[in-house]
Amino acid sequence: MSEIMDFRIRWGMVIDLDKCTGCGACMVACQAENNIAPQVDASNKLRSLNWLVVYRLSNGRAFPDHEVAYLPRPCMQCGKPSCVSVCPVIATDKREEGGIVSQIPPRCIGCRYCMASCPYHARYFNWYDPKWPGDLGRALTPDVSTRPRGVVEKCTFCHHRWQKAKDEAIANGRDPWDLPDGAYVTSCAEACPNGAITFGDLKNPKHKVHELSQSPYAFRLLERLGTDPQVYYLSRREWVRRKGDNYLEDEPTAGTRRG
Amino acid sequence: MNRRGFLKFAAGGTVGLAASPVIWNTLYDAVYWTQNWGWIPRLQKGASEYLPTISKVCPSGTGIRVRLVGGRPVRALGNPGNAMSQGALTALAAAETQLQVSPARLKTPLKRSPDGAYVAISWEEAEKMLRDKALEARGAMACISGDPTSSVNEVFTGFMNAMGSDDFYFMPGEELPALKAWSLMGGQGRLGYDIEHSDFVLSIGANFLESWGTVARNRKAFSAGRPAGQKPALKVAYAGPVQNNTAAGADWWLPIRPDTEMALALGVAHLVIKKGKAPFRIGLPAFAALAERYDPATVAKLTGVDAARLEAVVDALLEAQKPLVITGSPLGAGGAAGPIMAAIAINILLDRVGKEGNLVDLSFPSPVVNGATHIRSLLARDLVAWTQAVAAGKAPAPKMLMIYDANPLYALPAGSGMAEVLDRTPFTVALASFMSETCARCDLVLPAAMGLERFDDACTPYGSGQFSYSIAAPVVEPFYEARPAGELIIALAQELGVDLGVEDMPQLLHKKALSMGADFRALTESGGVFTDDAQRSPVVPLFNTAALQAAITTPAGSSDASVRLAPVLVLGMGTPQTAIPPFATKIIADYQLKGMDSVAQMNSATAAKLGVRQGERVKLQSAAATVTVLVDLFEGVQTDTVALCAGLGHTAFDEFSRGKGINITTLTSVSREPGTGLSVWGGAELARA
Repeated sequence: MSEIMDFRIRWGMVIDLDKCTGCGACMVACQAENNIAPQVDASNKLRSLNWLVVYRLSNGRAFPDHEVAYLPRPCMQCGKPSCVSVCPVIATDKREEGGIVSQIPPRCIGCRYCMASCPYHARYFNWYDPKWPGDLGRALTPDVSTRPRGVVEKCTFCHHRWQKAKDEAIANGRDPWDLPDGAYVTSCAEACPNGAITFGDLKNPKHKVHELSQSPYAFRLLERLGTDPQVYYLSRREWVRRKGDNYLEDEPTAGTRRG
Repeated sequence: MNRRGFLKFAAGGTVGLAASPVIWNTLYDAVYWTQNWGWIPRLQKGASEYLPTISKVCPSGTGIRVRLVGGRPVRALGNPGNAMSQGALTALAAAETQLQVSPARLKTPLKRSPDGAYVAISWEEAEKMLRDKALEARGAMACISGDPTSSVNEVFTGFMNAMGSDDFYFMPGEELPALKAWSLMGGQGRLGYDIEHSDFVLSIGANFLESWGTVARNRKAFSAGRPAGQKPALKVAYAGPVQNNTAAGADWWLPIRPDTEMALALGVAHLVIKKGKAPFRIGLPAFAALAERYDPATVAKLTGVDAARLEAVVDALLEAQKPLVITGSPLGAGGAAGPIMAAIAINILLDRVGKEGNLVDLSFPSPVVNGATHIRSLLARDLVAWTQAVAAGKAPAPKMLMIYDANPLYALPAGSGMAEVLDRTPFTVALASFMSETCARCDLVLPAAMGLERFDDACTPYGSGQFSYSIAAPVVEPFYEARPAGELIIALAQELGVDLGVEDMPQLLHKKALSMGADFRALTESGGVFTDDAQRSPVVPLFNTAALQAAITTPAGSSDASVRLAPVLVLGMGTPQTAIPPFATKIIADYQLKGMDSVAQMNSATAAKLGVRQGERVKLQSAAATVTVLVDLFEGVQTDTVALCAGLGHTAFDEFSRGKGINITTLTSVSREPGTGLSVWGGAELARA
């Protein structure tokens, strides 16, 4: 895919890293909403499966000048996704209004090219069959199919919630393509007690994310790769913003480049 | 058929087949069935409904909306209609529907057989056993409850008092030292914190953005005071030995050595007085004389906090319009009253106590069950003082011990005497939802319905800024044979001829709501919170310098070869009653738990002192225990300090919790706070074994 894919609606997130305290409520809500199986030992982070991960950031300085921040990382839903162009079976694509990069597990052949190409490590491989021991399977939601061993999966911005919001709009005689702010939010944004995650249409001036993404403190991860992510981060701390890209030591911190 | 006819038929058939969906559907089905294995669960469809209630696994009674699909609870969502949590959710409350069906849930009553194995018994047998033992133990019954917010405690105390027993205790928490400190400093009721109206919170050891007090409400206040992308209206400073979750949200981190909260608080008081900002009050000169000894240089020596950094925080505190100083203990239990008194003294110096955005005095609810003990009296009791007395033979062991929604064997520190109490009590019964370490030592284990399955309530959880009352209404049938503990004890009381004045829990909650002017039906239907500002009393705070001075201890330092323990509490890892929820294993970072090993975080100077390297597996010993941990270098820890997560090291529950890491309460020992005599723990001196 050589061109940035653009749509009338561009669902996106703005995550304020100065508000995130790393509690993990977003990760729990994501697992429960999307039927991600629990893992007995998830301490090997290369073998555990999450659609959303909260990373701890360090300013790299020694005690007592050390500072800490937390960074939740969903799929960036890139405007120019590296994963789509390498998928040999079109199991992942970006062609639907809203700009969410799709993932269709039944089509996936498990080659993991997409994982290799994603610069954000947002894709996860099912190394094992999912297990819900005992009665845990009773808490599965009816919205997201369970996935077997051998396929790749990733965050979908809780796409089923968008479908539901559109259905509700139609049922109530409203325009499903012009949802009010908050009519469709992801499970993680809904669960965050600190209000660190704001979700909405980046192109819609009536949505809060539109304004937040223009903030002088906004940045995106690895912007210079040209992937045009739909997830923005905010921080008033420069060292946090510099963590968003691989800066040379004396290179100034860049502002947000809009794609 | 001739050749031409055959070719026509073949061509027509091919085109027809290609045009029909048969091939494509077959291909699609083939692909689908390659991934549709029988052992992968199928989704169960059904109508969705959303029922409001409150979380009883989350200690602060977070308001939730439970999504049910075909009657099955599948999601716990925030409830914006709950004025306390305002739609916010904690990592623990978010996992409640999965906890409801977790493998650690108790399904049937269990009786310990002589060989130590547990056998399932019927409820009839269990109830008969309970009834017989209660009659035998008349006058020598004891109870430990892990839920201080619930009215079910009235059922227990009403029943026990009628049976002639008064040994009822809550599991230790933040409220016991706070109650002591508040009453010594002039408070009449319980200590409340009006966090949402404050514009500067100085937290000395209170992990208030993760585990302390009404967490969801605290974090909602934090969220409102710091709008995304805008200049924060609420500023936060955190003093603690580790850059924990609260430090991550704070504007300033004051890295104090473990157990030096009191010295830091007196250092802050010193600067406030020195800067001439404290208005005159009776008792100020005596307090000022005490604080005089805590100049920034002395405080730096005691706590390790740089004098300039402390001064910058105090300047910001004095610039604020509505500052608030709070304190808490690292384990959420076993804290001392001294630091709380010192924090109250700073708030008095700031002339803010009783005013908007500061400490408030909240009243206690009155009991509605016949013969029940008043909550104020219960909250003031020190469980560990009792267990130690029983273990030492200074107090009689009970003949029957009921343990409700608590896991004291896991949560209490070394030397608490809890194991000895269990050994010396002829009949122990656990009323619990999960198979905990304590259950695994009891004679009878009764499966208790969880909050989602029973009527219950939460009255003014510790840390609240208002007198509050909310009701948990069942949204689903109890798991297998679980029963609500309150109903069980009410039925037992009725059988033994004890009139508690209530027929069942809904009636109790109805009476309770009525007694405080709340609407039972409205609360159950909305999952909302009743608040009453009239239950906030005017307070005339005192500088009780004598009590403060008596509670001062010399901070235990570390020798040339030893370091101090700094416990880290993370709510996502569950409580001692729940252990690690199945979905929480993924939120535990590899700098907290790696494989089956707890990870000890320390800065590079501490690692050099101990002679350890990144990733190395080392043995650390305290006076109470020796443990094996992995080393992780993290510069967000005070020097000569090792940070270890609480909530690990379970030996019971399920595969998601069992055998993972170490239980850090085994490293700590109990001591008595001078002056107040409270049982305190949480710190320990560690050295390489």
